[in-house]
Amino acid sequence: MTPNIPVNILMVDDQPGKLLSYEAILNPLGENLIKANSGREALELLLKSKIAVVLMDVSMPDIDGFQLADMIREHPRFQKTAIIFISAVHLTDVDRIKGYERGAVDYISVPVIPELLRAKVSVFAELYRKTQQLEKLNRELEERVAARTEELRESESQFRSLANSIPQLAWMAEAGGSIFWYNQRWYDYTGTTLEQVKGWGWDIVHHPDHLHKVAEKYRQSVATGEPWEDTFPLRGQDGNYRWFLSRALPIRDVNGKIVRWFGTNTDITDRKLAEEALVKSERLAAMGRLAGIIAHEINNPLEAISNAFYLLRDHPSLDEEARYYSKLAEEELARVAHITKQTLSFYRESQRPVAVSLAEVLENVIELQSRKLQVSGISVDKRFYTRGLVQGYPVELKQVFLNLIANAMQAMPDGGRLRLRLGQSKDRRNGREGVRVSICDTGGGILPEHAKRIFEPFFSTKDTKGTGLGLWISKGIVQKYEGTIRFRSIRNRHVRATCFSVFIPAVSASVTPKVSAALVA
Amino acid sequence: MTNRRVILCVDDENNPLVLRKLVLEKAGYEVVTAGSGKEALQLAQERAFDLVLSDHLMPGMNGAELAQAIKSKQPHLPVILISGVNDIPPGATVADAFLSKVEGPDALGKHITAVLQREKTKKSESSTVSE
Repeated sequence: MTPNIPVNILMVDDQPGKLLSYEAILNPLGENLIKANSGREALELLLKSKIAVVLMDVSMPDIDGFQLADMIREHPRFQKTAIIFISAVHLTDVDRIKGYERGAVDYISVPVIPELLRAKVSVFAELYRKTQQLEKLNRELEERVAARTEELRESESQFRSLANSIPQLAWMAEAGGSIFWYNQRWYDYTGTTLEQVKGWGWDIVHHPDHLHKVAEKYRQSVATGEPWEDTFPLRGQDGNYRWFLSRALPIRDVNGKIVRWFGTNTDITDRKLAEEALVKSERLAAMGRLAGIIAHEINNPLEAISNAFYLLRDHPSLDEEARYYSKLAEEELARVAHITKQTLSFYRESQRPVAVSLAEVLENVIELQSRKLQVSGISVDKRFYTRGLVQGYPVELKQVFLNLIANAMQAMPDGGRLRLRLGQSKDRRNGREGVRVSICDTGGGILPEHAKRIFEPFFSTKDTKGTGLGLWISKGIVQKYEGTIRFRSIRNRHVRATCFSVFIPAVSASVTPKVSAALVA
Repeated sequence: MTNRRVILCVDDENNPLVLRKLVLEKAGYEVVTAGSGKEALQLAQERAFDLVLSDHLMPGMNGAELAQAIKSKQPHLPVILISGVNDIPPGATVADAFLSKVEGPDALGKHITAVLQREKTKKSESSTVSE
């Protein structure tokens, strides 16, 4: 057990004999005993050393004990110093209260009982000792806090430097999740100012469809202290959305309490688009391979059956009824052959640009959709003024018009009219010759707030499945041909219609032989 | 001496082969069948044919290879390949025509007529020159 550090006890009495007797009584305590013969000497000693307890005679010649106490208490340093009055004079309660008011702590009357004196001095000495220890501990704690605060500031400053140099968007939030700092990339990307997005203001750059879920998940993390991770779109300065993989980690103090959140957002749009495009192109390639296999397997018996029916035609042994059945069967078989030819050759992209008749492409697509058109009650009004020849790749061109026609059909679930027009035209921008195709539907129309976003990747107004990439890919393909794709939508009391207009130049320089059409999208 | 043209019809599958033969016979041709490229090559060396009509995908020697082999010995014997595949396979360009089975018997008849006519025109041109 560590021995107590002795404290200073100041004994003040004009009579040396009394001082000696006090000394004798208090020695066993093991504290440091200092003797003063007068009030003056006491004050001097007080200023020189740290005194824990002052033991003084109330009645002294040069200065009254109470007056001395007053002087002592004047110094802010000694306001808490314990003073024990030893009084021969009988003190009334009034006197005592006066003493207490001065901040005197206790009284001992003469004759002094040694055990009593020892006990009282001991208590105050211990109190003083404890107070010193507490103050020391407090100072240490303050130092530690200051050091930790400095460390935090240092690490924050390092974080800021790092955060401003990385390509990711980064930010810092208070323990409660309120963001107080963003890195430069954040401002560069979103085109916002701290004023706009500080605190919880970041919702302005979030996609309305995702905001609710994102905020919910973030709040959850902040509340539980669990690291946060989420993937969602953020709007850039140009108004377009890009996808970001976002993470945040809590920073804790010495006690494990969260003091900060450090977060980042990484742009994964290109990766996501590449993944989607790869999936699509793989699917397309797989379908191509499958189509090839099926084609062969079906076409062989198909030819044999067609030949058999050919032989049955006008066969002498057949009566009129049998010949009729045979004719019907032959007709249906011809349809099978036709469909097989159409569908299975759909997925085969050519290696080099060829002359493609857009009129034929449109006919193909309409034919493929004929059943659905019928079932949905959609009438087709088509007028092709020319064959619409362009130089290019048949499958990707089919993809564009299949997408536009499918969209038009989906806009008319309860029926309507699909109007197709095709003709020779000139590019309004540069006068180039080419083919213009317009696809119009009488469906619900495109809402103004959606209008400027429909060519965005991942944007979809359909609640059913759909990647939201159709129009974006179509636009990409059309632009590859140096063509244009536009739309107009009318929604009023009398009429609702949407028209997409595609212009493809007859020949474009950018169309060159390539490896895979679908990957470009 | 018969005026009927003789066609050598090749296919590894029997039903399609038989039906194709019957269709050609109905169209007025004489038909000899072979169940493989090897057999066809043998027959082509033994007698004269006006046309070879062969399936492409066959085990052993495929149609394109057969066409190549025939053309190397008898460059003036027209060869038509007929197939269930959609793409024209490599090496098939040595044949005079490549037909899809999906096109049906009527189209087949037309193509054969066209190829034989071309061949006849070529023959008469060369014989005119030599005169």
